[in-house]
Amino acid sequence: MSVKVEVIEGGVPHNKIMIAGLVSTLVCIYLTYLNAFTNTEMFSFFGGLAVVSALIWGSHTIKVLCSYGIGTGVPSAGMIAFGSGVIAMLLATKFGMLAPIVALVLAAVIGFILGYVSNNILNMKIPAMVQALTEMAVVGALTVMGFAALITGGFSFVGLTTSKAVFMGLPMTSYGNSFLGGGLIAVAFLLGAIAIQHPFNACLGPGWKQDRMLMLTAECGFLSMIVAAVMSFALISAGSAIISLIIALIGWFYTYSQYFVLSKRDAAAWLDSKPIPDTEGH
Amino acid sequence: MSAVAAKPQAGGAMNPTAMAVGVVLLIIILGACWVVSPNLGLMALIGIIIGGVLIGFGTHFVPVGGAPAAMGQAPGIATGVAMLAAGAGLAGLFGGAWAAEQGMVVAVVTGGIGGGLMMAITCLMVNFVYVFGMGIPAASGKVLHDPITGDSQAEYKSQGTEGHGLPFVSFVGGVIGGILGGAGGTLIYLELLGLYEATFPTMMNATAAQVLPVAVSVAGMFAVALFLVNAVLTAYNITGTIEGPHDPKFKRWPRAIVASAVASALCGFVAILIVAM
Amino acid sequence: MEQIVFGIGITALTGALATVAGSAEDTESNIGSQGDPNSQVQLAPQMGFLHRIFNKAVAGEPPAYGLWCALGAGLAWAFMAMQINAILAIVLGCVLAVFVQGVYATTAYLGRTASLAKFGQPVYVDIIKSMTTVTMAHAFIAIFCTVALCQLINGALGHPFPLPLLALIWGIALGAAGSATGNPYYGKERQYQNQKFGAGVPISASGNIVRYAEAGERNSIDNGFFTHKIGGSASGICFGLIVFLELWRTILFEKIYAGWGAIAVGVLLILIFTVIDRYIEVWARKNYGPYTAAKEAES
Repeated sequence: MSVKVEVIEGGVPHNKIMIAGLVSTLVCIYLTYLNAFTNTEMFSFFGGLAVVSALIWGSHTIKVLCSYGIGTGVPSAGMIAFGSGVIAMLLATKFGMLAPIVALVLAAVIGFILGYVSNNILNMKIPAMVQALTEMAVVGALTVMGFAALITGGFSFVGLTTSKAVFMGLPMTSYGNSFLGGGLIAVAFLLGAIAIQHPFNACLGPGWKQDRMLMLTAECGFLSMIVAAVMSFALISAGSAIISLIIALIGWFYTYSQYFVLSKRDAAAWLDSKPIPDTEGH
Repeated sequence: MSAVAAKPQAGGAMNPTAMAVGVVLLIIILGACWVVSPNLGLMALIGIIIGGVLIGFGTHFVPVGGAPAAMGQAPGIATGVAMLAAGAGLAGLFGGAWAAEQGMVVAVVTGGIGGGLMMAITCLMVNFVYVFGMGIPAASGKVLHDPITGDSQAEYKSQGTEGHGLPFVSFVGGVIGGILGGAGGTLIYLELLGLYEATFPTMMNATAAQVLPVAVSVAGMFAVALFLVNAVLTAYNITGTIEGPHDPKFKRWPRAIVASAVASALCGFVAILIVAM
Repeated sequence: MEQIVFGIGITALTGALATVAGSAEDTESNIGSQGDPNSQVQLAPQMGFLHRIFNKAVAGEPPAYGLWCALGAGLAWAFMAMQINAILAIVLGCVLAVFVQGVYATTAYLGRTASLAKFGQPVYVDIIKSMTTVTMAHAFIAIFCTVALCQLINGALGHPFPLPLLALIWGIALGAAGSATGNPYYGKERQYQNQKFGAGVPISASGNIVRYAEAGERNSIDNGFFTHKIGGSASGICFGLIVFLELWRTILFEKIYAGWGAIAVGVLLILIFTVIDRYIEVWARKNYGPYTAAKEAES
């Protein structure tokens, strides 16, 4: 799809969103370590909140990048972000407590080089390209990490590749029944890749408003959190999954209704079963 | 309406300095890989780079017209270049992964044929809908004569359009693109799978059979991720639409080769580090 | 032998499921104006043509269907891991995936339309209510068939990939096949029904989409009704052939010459399709004739 895009100014500056997004994502991801300290899985929902804040930052980055008209669709930006992010995230899971920081640095390096490649070798010459691809790779890595924490309760490499099950009364370690072995990472990958590009793709046009787009991002994040919480029933205790699910449902319902309010505010008219309005000349 | 920010025109020109930097980066990454894992890792990385380059090169062949193609305003397939290439390449990866136990050569060729078959069917159905659904013959907008069949194109272009449908050269290009993409994706998958199968058991302290699902899943996910990165980079290279191997934009492929090699080397190196550290 | 017969049965079943999935996918995306024809629905109000067409630009069809199918499969996998029966698990997973699809569809329509406020395009609440449910129904068919065929490939035919990864691959392929085949028919033939038949839409006509029906104003369900007849069926055949032939050549010929048999059959199939394509192309050139010289003869 190639729809013409405009550069629209105004609203909260991008750097502010970036810093706020980065800090809150890291804090939320680190809060999932409460699981390890208290030896429960009750704090998995912080992974979902990390997803929401990372996506808010990422969707604004996409807006900055795609305002330049990159020649191919907005969705492709989400694909490259998560394609590079997921690889960085998986290596980072091996670093224990340092995992989120390592994911951040590693993804930034990959994103930076990919940005250099597109801008200079592929001659795209888009001023925001290097910074945007760096940010998006980081967002991709942290989002998948957040999903991993939400679904499995943690993101150590061992935790992602194994699950404990009781089979015929004996405790067993299952490798197929895990976040990686079962392929749930593919779902996390696409949930993030669509949620990061959808808000700008859906709200682009002359009447683009920052608050409406970011509200939609939060809605997409909570919506992804709902289904991820449902999937987490398979890998963490039911009580913890229910906590995540309830938080996701409340967050989703609030943001979804707020998004309706904001759309109603910005729309030309809000009609129910009415004909096409008459305009002069047609 | 367009107020797109004053952007320097991204042209077909090469940037020699950046290409040189790219090659240097590639050598640095290969060197780093040689340091951490001289045998297994380096061989896998070379395979991944070849696979990535195949994907990047193959995507140039896929005839994609984007939104104008959906209105019969431009030739090509009416969808996005990265995702169409991904559809074909992943269908190839599906076949290649299935044939993995029959050896590297058979699996890679199977993957390539799978991608080519997917594109052949898709391109055929595109022409079918154009001809029998909409009564429009195929015509290219970029060349006067089809380079393969020699058919003249200009008088089959309907008024006010740049051509429509898939001329024979575009069909062949689509099939070649599918074959290269499918083979590249399969190659990446096989290299990673071989590496992970060899190293996961010691790393995770389990038997080979136990870790097989994890190895397959991680290798498959990385193959998909690398495929998407390479396909999107190529889409950036051809800025949206291309008619096939006869399109002037096709001449930009050397840039994409370097870009795909660097991107695949980088991502592949990180994927290898998971087991080499 | 018995195993081959079993494999062929499963192959036929997956081919049939894929055909239904392709057809439903194309109809769903046409009702929602998803994919490339979306650009015209988006452009029309800017040229002064206000309309009552559903405009849900979630993403291109391939990534969108990649998500819906992977999500349905991931949820089904999770339900199966909770010891729920496979068929029930797939149905439940697809229901939740369709819920996500529906929410994405409404937000996309609201977002795009609200951003067009400058041109006076109103938001029609009744469109959200009536069209979203119809697209959700079609999406359910497409997702269920795709996840079911992935489960068959994984469980009965023994493909090594886990279910969600398979669904991601076939979801993207489904969207690619459906958008490639179905988009032109909706974009040219239905949106621009007022333009000349048998010719592309002139670039100067862009945005002037048909907005009125035989009686009253055109809505998107009419579009699904129209495009399903050729675009939807062609998409179904396209995706069905892809899945069926890919499995068929593997199941039947994989054992011959250590894998080279399947490859040879694949090459043969590609050559057959190439010949058919060339025949169609030449047939069209001969029967429709060039535009510049034979215009009088055609009309």
